[in-house]
Order: sequence, then structure tokens, then C-alpha cells
Amino acid sequence: MGKIAMVLRRAPYGDINAAEAVRHAMGGVADELTVDLILVDSGVLLAKKGQDDTGTGFTNLEGTLKDCIDMGVEVYADKASAREQHLESADIVDGVKLASAAEIAELMQEAKTTMIF
Amino acid sequence: MAKTFTLLLSTSPYSYENTLTAVKTAESALDKGHTVNLIASGDGVYCFLKKQKAKGITNAEEEFSRLIQKGLKVYL
Amino acid sequence: MLVIVKSAPDTTDGKRGIKLARDMAADVVLLQNGIYFAQRERLEGFCGTAYVLDDDVRLRGLKNGEIEKDIKRLDYGSLVDLMAGEDKVMGMF
Repeated sequence: MGKIAMVLRRAPYGDINAAEAVRHAMGGVADELTVDLILVDSGVLLAKKGQDDTGTGFTNLEGTLKDCIDMGVEVYADKASAREQHLESADIVDGVKLASAAEIAELMQEAKTTMIF
Repeated sequence: MAKTFTLLLSTSPYSYENTLTAVKTAESALDKGHTVNLIASGDGVYCFLKKQKAKGITNAEEEFSRLIQKGLKVYL
Repeated sequence: MLVIVKSAPDTTDGKRGIKLARDMAADVVLLQNGIYFAQRERLEGFCGTAYVLDDDVRLRGLKNGEIEKDIKRLDYGSLVDLMAGEDKVMGMF
């Protein structure tokens, strides 16, 4: 079966896109699809370590992202976006791969379907 | 001195963080003895539908019902 | 005068809110995705007082060391006190 590329362009929590992206990524791998989750622009902030949801009622999306990785979702963060967003590599969740624009273009080309969040 | 806060909520309950911001700000102002009005406009009115089942995110019905008991005045 | 900014630095809304606050010599409150404006060197040229909502900072995992030193931290209680003390509150952008 073809691969799905899910692209997240928005920072987590401010709107529902990040939560929906990880939810659909998990749904995809649970259905034995191959899923690439690609974080670009402020979407890379989903991969920031140390998110604390205490008192907010939100699901902790750092935890959900880690679950995605454990379940087999390949997660990529755009290198240039990470730099723009002041996100240092030591501060990125383990298992998230930094990718160049060319690598991301290739992933998008390979994918049979793309979902943009 | 007690003041009046009027919040405008115009987004649907589960697509944005505005629900949480409105709930927390309104509750804090009510606890401090201020008058709090909330005007729901556009998709904001969906925050006040009955039988909402949201989990893992601020449940608009539960939270606003609680605040109405505390004195929040809501206008649709 | 107080301007509240909830949108991220990479959005036109966020940029507009900060620019407006600067042009009006108003203070600014950063919350939701607007808290990323509190990262070092993001508010260069802004002369007023900037406040940031602690709950939203912790939710997004920003560390103390990442935040510009002269930005003041708020909880919802002190946000309400701040708003009650202002003649005008604008937002949220």
C-alpha cells in the first residue's frame, strides 16, 4: 500500500491541527499504512521537549508524538524551520529526524497521498 | 475595585485554544469579584450546545456551565 | 493600553499585534501561540513592557533560559489584575 505524508504547518495547542495530525498518523499506522509525519514552519514546535499540560485539560502532544514514533510513524522536522523557530537539536524529542528541504521534497514525492494540517 | 470584563468568543469549541483562554480568564475574574459577560458570536455559539462529549481538551459545555453557576453572564 | 497577542510569530496576525502595540506605545500580553514572541531576540525594537502567560509557556515546553530576561511572567490571576488596571485592552491578535 502507498505511503501517506502528513504535513503539520502549525504550532501545537493554539489550534487543533497538531492534535489532529498525530491522531491521524496513529490511525494510519494502526491500520498498517506507512506514515511520514513532516513538521514544517511552526509545526516543528510539536517536537519540543518538556511540554507540561498540568491544569490545562489538554492532551500532552509531546507524549502523543512519542507514541506515534513508538508505533512506527517516521517523524521529520524541517531543518530551516527548526532554526527559524529557535528550536535546538538537543531540545527535539528523540526519534524525530531533522531533514533538509530536498529530503522533504523527496518524501512528499514518494508519498501516494498527502494530508496537510 | 470591581470592574466589568466582556469577552467575545467567536470560534468553535474544539478547533482553537480560545475556549480554554476564555474559561480560565473568566473564572479568574469571577473569583476576584468582577462582573464577567461573555458574548458568543458566530461559531462561538457552539460552545453552549448540550451533550458535548469532548475529552483531552477543555469541555466547553461542562466548563461554561460551571462558570454560569459562578455568575458568568452569557449572551448568544 | 494593553494589546493581547495570541498568534505565533510566523503569522500576519501575530506580527500585526506586535506592530500595533509598538506604534501605540502600548504594553503587550503574550498568550497561546503568541508566547513564542517571548523567545530571545524576537521582540527587538519593542520598547514597552511585555508579559507572558506562564500556563501557555509551560504547555509548550519553553524553558526559562529561552525567554528574554525582562519579560514578566503572569498567571491568570495577575492577568486579570493587569487588565482591570488598564484603561483599554485590545485583542486578541
